[in-house]
Amino acid sequence: MSKEVLVVDGLNMHYETLDGLVQAVKDVSFTLKQGESFGLVGESGCGKTSVAMSLLQLQPDNAKISSGSIKLDGIELVGMTEKELRTVRWDGISIVFQGAMNAWNPVAKIGEQIREAIREHRPDNSKDENTEKITELFNIVGLDSSVMDRYPHELSGGMKQRAMIALALSCDPKVVIADEPTTALDVVIQDQILKELKKVQELLGLSLIYISHDIAVIAEMTNNMAVMYAGSIVELGPTKDVFSKPKHAYTRLLLESTPSVVGEKKKLRSLDGEPPSLIDEKKGCSFSPRCPAPSKECKNQELEMKLIEVVKGHYADQCCVECG
Amino acid sequence: MAEYIIRRTLQMIVVFFIFLVSSYLLFNAIPGNAFSNLLLNPDLPPDAYEKVLATYGLDKPIMERVQLYVVNFFKGDFGYSYKYYPKTPIELIAERLPRTLMLFAIVNIVAFYTGFLVGKVLAWRRGSKSETWITVTSVFSYTVFYPWFALMMLWFFGYKMGWFPIGKFLYPEKWYTAPWDSDVIFVLMIKFTAIISIIQFIAYIMTRGIESLSQRRNLRFASLLTIAVGSYFFWNTGDALTKKPYAADIAYHMILPVIVVTIVAFAGTALLTRTTMVEVIKEDYILTARAKGLSQKRIRDRHAARTALLPVVTSFIFTIVTIIDGSVLTETIFSWPGMGQLLLQSVLEEDIPVAMATFSFVGVFALIAHLVADISYSYLDPRIRIKSQG
Repeated sequence: MSKEVLVVDGLNMHYETLDGLVQAVKDVSFTLKQGESFGLVGESGCGKTSVAMSLLQLQPDNAKISSGSIKLDGIELVGMTEKELRTVRWDGISIVFQGAMNAWNPVAKIGEQIREAIREHRPDNSKDENTEKITELFNIVGLDSSVMDRYPHELSGGMKQRAMIALALSCDPKVVIADEPTTALDVVIQDQILKELKKVQELLGLSLIYISHDIAVIAEMTNNMAVMYAGSIVELGPTKDVFSKPKHAYTRLLLESTPSVVGEKKKLRSLDGEPPSLIDEKKGCSFSPRCPAPSKECKNQELEMKLIEVVKGHYADQCCVECG
Repeated sequence: MAEYIIRRTLQMIVVFFIFLVSSYLLFNAIPGNAFSNLLLNPDLPPDAYEKVLATYGLDKPIMERVQLYVVNFFKGDFGYSYKYYPKTPIELIAERLPRTLMLFAIVNIVAFYTGFLVGKVLAWRRGSKSETWITVTSVFSYTVFYPWFALMMLWFFGYKMGWFPIGKFLYPEKWYTAPWDSDVIFVLMIKFTAIISIIQFIAYIMTRGIESLSQRRNLRFASLLTIAVGSYFFWNTGDALTKKPYAADIAYHMILPVIVVTIVAFAGTALLTRTTMVEVIKEDYILTARAKGLSQKRIRDRHAARTALLPVVTSFIFTIVTIIDGSVLTETIFSWPGMGQLLLQSVLEEDIPVAMATFSFVGVFALIAHLVADISYSYLDPRIRIKSQG
């Protein structure tokens, strides 16, 4: 069994706003193994990006991690000082942001921006070594080495995203987070980028966390996955199992809302209602108001939300498992 | 690029021509002339006044005079000063320019640099208590009535505390036995400052390509050290040693005006930098920079402030013209006999050749400064490309 690189345990994160505390991440736990690709899926505003930001602790000033632990290679990240965190960022965990358009500084050359990251974490490298490293990375993601001397506005969206992947790999990080890396791109480029990412992941044996609202992409990209709803994980397991035998009502509905290219034509189902506001703390299952077949216990909010193992390695929220 | 510069230069010549003709006409629109007071002298024969006017060509009709002036101007003949005949305007400017150049070059650079520095710290510490207080102070110094403020500072530091001289750019008693004119010293000081800046600039450019940050920093520090040692030897050997006390006298007189103008002028830059940078900080690439694990200082300077520089440089270019024309107010309050005072006096005395020459000199400088600004934009922001067409 391969080593566990990243262990997130009982992570809670909230934003302090004028309207009150917004519980963006509730009791999230998952494990990422060496060379594994882990998917995080859920609708907009369910806390996927908040999880990613918590891992790097890049959240805005009003966000606080209230409890939980994040262990990277056995080292606890929660409670680290800014200075210690700086050494972990990019060297330990790097991130490919959503919307590469604005993730590059418009007035600096691409090469210089990658170099800057390497310089920060490998201060003793010579200039030639760094150039070589960047050329190598550009080869992997399918970019010409001349891109180094270009400015971000001279690249197309796809090229920027490829360069972004190269940037994320520049310090040989233990974990790479891909936060909806294909959001701003058209479908053809999306496909290319995904293939690139998958290739890179297999080639370098990366431990990858893939965040997306697109369940099809998750199916293609990941070994294990978690489904998030309203800040908490409602289902967790091997991607194959989750797709073939979804245990949670929300996962089932999510799958039914996605069109399939093969097989007979089916009417897509959509879910009524809105995701709950995360401001007020509610007891019980957060999905019950929208659940098509809630049981009595769910309605009365008697059950706490908690993942239980249904099949080996496949977890789902106990409320939904109880109601069947 | 070359085509752009040529095109802009041609435009500038047209603009300058219009500038020249209209300012000549405006100066002549002032009632009377430089010799009107001769009429008040009862001892003068009646035709003497007309004779004087004819000597200077003032009896010709205005349109003819404009023509003559413009033609002579482009031949390089600026005429003679009415007041200081037979001195030419060029001689007068040559005497005044070094004084203004020295004072206002330093004032501008110091004010811009402090302004930019304060501005970026303000934007970075947004929402903190220190930010509020510094912003309030900056708004105060930005809006304060400048002559009053300058006079108060003169009164306090010059008169009450007696730390600094009140006005003038030298103590005349020190200069009775001086073998040089003050201009010689000024020119020496300007040369010295220019050489230092150029050396430091070259050192900066040369070290830019070095990969190791610590090595880069050490080399830059070494170059600063070299300059410090070099200037120590410069002022303590040979020719410069004998000039040192005089240069020191001038430098001492410069301290108060530099401080006062800086206090007033830095605020504009600081507030502008703050506003621009607050917008930039929200951008995604600042988050990328943080995720890369860069230090706060580096994110602030290399990413946030660097991108916010453009509007700040624009505003700097508008004020840079004061290097040449000085500021009439500043020069009057600190009795600094530079270009601003020359301009003011010549206009008041209707010494039109001098006023015109000074004015055109400032005009040419302003036009060139704007051209340089436009070109420098494309270096500051690579998204701006200078196209030959357009």
